[in-house]
Amino acid sequence: MIIWKVIYRLAVYCSLSLIVFSFFTNTAAASCLTGACHQELQSFTRLHEPVAEGECLSCHESVAKEHPLKKGKSFKLVAAGAALCVECHDSFDPNVGKLHPAVADGECLVCHNPHGGNKTGLLRAAGDLKVICFECHNAEPFAQQFVHGPAAAGVCLECHMPHQSKHKNLLISDSKSLCLRCHADLVAGLENSAVIHAPINNSDCSACHEVHGGAFAHLLKADGPKLCFSCHEELADKYKKSKTKHTALYKDDRCGNCHSPHFSEYASLLSELESETCLRCHGKDDFKRSRALRNIRTEIAGKEHLHAPLADGKCSACHDPHGSDFYRLLVNAYPENFYAPYRKGTYAFCLDCHEENLLRFPETSIYTSFRDGKHNLHYTHVADSRKGRTCRACHQAHASNGPKLVNEEGASFGNWRIPLHLELTETGGSCSPGCHRRISYDRENPVTER
Amino acid sequence: MRKPFTPICCNCLKIIRLGVLLLSFFLISACAGPEVAGPQGSVFFPPAPNPPRLQYLTRISSSADIDGKKLGGLSIIAVGDTRAEKPKPIIKPYGITVRNGKLYVCDTSPGRLVVIDPARKSFEFLKGNYSFGKLKKPISSEIDRDGNLYVADTVRKEVLVYGPSGNFLRAFGKGLEMKPVDVAIDGDYLYVLDIKNHDIKILDRKTGKHLDTIGKGSNEEHFLSLPISIDTGPKGSLYVSNMTSGKIVNLDRDGHLLGEFGKLGDGFGQFGRPKGLAVDDQGRIYVVDAAHQNVQIFDKSGRLLMFFGDPGLPFGSLNLPAGIAVTSQGIDLFKEYIDPAFAVEQLIFVTSQFGPAKISVYGLGKLID
Repeated sequence: MIIWKVIYRLAVYCSLSLIVFSFFTNTAAASCLTGACHQELQSFTRLHEPVAEGECLSCHESVAKEHPLKKGKSFKLVAAGAALCVECHDSFDPNVGKLHPAVADGECLVCHNPHGGNKTGLLRAAGDLKVICFECHNAEPFAQQFVHGPAAAGVCLECHMPHQSKHKNLLISDSKSLCLRCHADLVAGLENSAVIHAPINNSDCSACHEVHGGAFAHLLKADGPKLCFSCHEELADKYKKSKTKHTALYKDDRCGNCHSPHFSEYASLLSELESETCLRCHGKDDFKRSRALRNIRTEIAGKEHLHAPLADGKCSACHDPHGSDFYRLLVNAYPENFYAPYRKGTYAFCLDCHEENLLRFPETSIYTSFRDGKHNLHYTHVADSRKGRTCRACHQAHASNGPKLVNEEGASFGNWRIPLHLELTETGGSCSPGCHRRISYDRENPVTER
Repeated sequence: MRKPFTPICCNCLKIIRLGVLLLSFFLISACAGPEVAGPQGSVFFPPAPNPPRLQYLTRISSSADIDGKKLGGLSIIAVGDTRAEKPKPIIKPYGITVRNGKLYVCDTSPGRLVVIDPARKSFEFLKGNYSFGKLKKPISSEIDRDGNLYVADTVRKEVLVYGPSGNFLRAFGKGLEMKPVDVAIDGDYLYVLDIKNHDIKILDRKTGKHLDTIGKGSNEEHFLSLPISIDTGPKGSLYVSNMTSGKIVNLDRDGHLLGEFGKLGDGFGQFGRPKGLAVDDQGRIYVVDAAHQNVQIFDKSGRLLMFFGDPGLPFGSLNLPAGIAVTSQGIDLFKEYIDPAFAVEQLIFVTSQFGPAKISVYGLGKLID
């Protein structure tokens, strides 16, 4: 019986002790928050769990009998820095990914409020996180004329992990995938197009674009052509120094007038077939300008013979769209004037493809079929030292209904178009242009005594 | 005690002598085995450390190098293959032409033309070389698109024409007072290089009608000067080597000077005595030099690319070289000689008038990556 009494008394004492201890601790927390001292801690809409539970002593411990002390502190944290946080929160393994420097240094309170906050994560700022980030990071890009939407809104965590990431700059995924999460309109094009701009595959979007903010539209890293020339160096000199400049390169979207920056179905990232790209400007009537562009689309429409490069859709075989030192952006020398006697090199543009000796010898049986016997009539017309006529006197550059692109409509000569009236035979022909009476020629039986 | 010397009887001595004699013949016969032809290892030009661009492949000096049939040199006693015929030799070759893998070699001294077909392993003398078609000093030849063979003969002073089967058809040039040293064909034009008049006679390929004479340029400096070899280049232009000026002249069919390069001298790109000339299908020009005893290769603008065949090498040197022919056909026929690390794009055949290698075979190409 005595034993049972002892056991009963011990149980009663223990229960009473627990009740008393519990009363005193709750009273302590309640006294921290409800007293006149730390009441502001309850002003947050979201409280740190220990605060909400009144578990102040899970983080703080008393180091003095009196509280508050006039000089010095009567409480201290139970552990320093992140060591305190990881008692409840998971820690970060530096081998898994790169750590945010604040995390690596255990400085959780750089970003977080320990007692509470008004948004998730007990962050020290609500909504625009730039306030927190700018305490360490450079704010300058965000003050530029053009700012990336998420950066402007301060939703840094749309792109960045706050604590740790396997990707550079603590991005939440690789750079290209990250951009395409929002810029989804590019996804199909990048997956299905025949030609992709090299940096997109070889580097990432940041090769051309600023990520936070910049001085140029579309967040480009540099002004239009200058950005392109950082890789396409060979075009920079041509752009600046060419004697004949392509107007399209110096207005509106400049390079972007012809090229698509991300992907295309067509070579050289052209936005359409090469000839169609050119004809977008050079294939329409323009009544607004006194010196309007010729409407090449009309000039070649329905013509029986197209100049071979044009038939292949290759305007660039003859014209350099990025600039040239020659007339009409041609890729080599061709006279600008109607009269231009042949000299070595003056007709290099035509002779790069056509027989190089065409205009070299007054007599030939090889280099032209426009001859009377061996008398080279191309030489006669073009190499005349006083009034050598350019090719355009008889030939169309783009298309014609006549063979050898002979200009049936006649070349422009001031206000007049000089008719040719060319008639061909098996072994020669004749013509009576606006220049002379009808003269015949025959390769096998020369017509003219010379 | 030493045994005293015992004299041998006369009969025994005769038997021993006969035995030694037979043994000697046997040994000599055994030594006269098949001759080893072809290169011993790979010889490349230019020499290391330059990357190799040309390999010496083999030589052709007689029918034995083609059909593999050798005669046992000094054999009197029947040893080995007694059915083998005596190989047909090339004595003093000059011009050489290659067409569809067949070689046509003018052998000047014996006055004959050898037709070699490596694919069929045949080595034959021109069939029609008798009677009216008898060659006296054939110096060079060319084949037209119908397979007819045109041979320049400096003693007959004519160009002799043989059909595809080798039968004599006709001779051109009587009355033209010329000494033809080379011929070239472009379409229906037959170009006959006349060393006597320093010009090129243009004849109708089929009729032999004299159509024109070119080569006398407007400027004396550009005249042909002891022209010795001619070949057609791109677009039917003509390249001519000139012995006394040391120039390689590029003309068109009308005689216009399109370009020229080279001069007499012993520097790079210069000539001591330019002889045979060939143009390959890439427009490269190969010029044999009998004085420097090598071949220089130029690009179409006349820039020296490389040279090969100079004297002093155990294999691959030339000896008074004369003619040259280049082809990109039939490379596989020489596959056994081509280094496995080397890819041949053009076969080059060069004749030497003296020495053991009458026709040296080279391959132009590059190392396989």
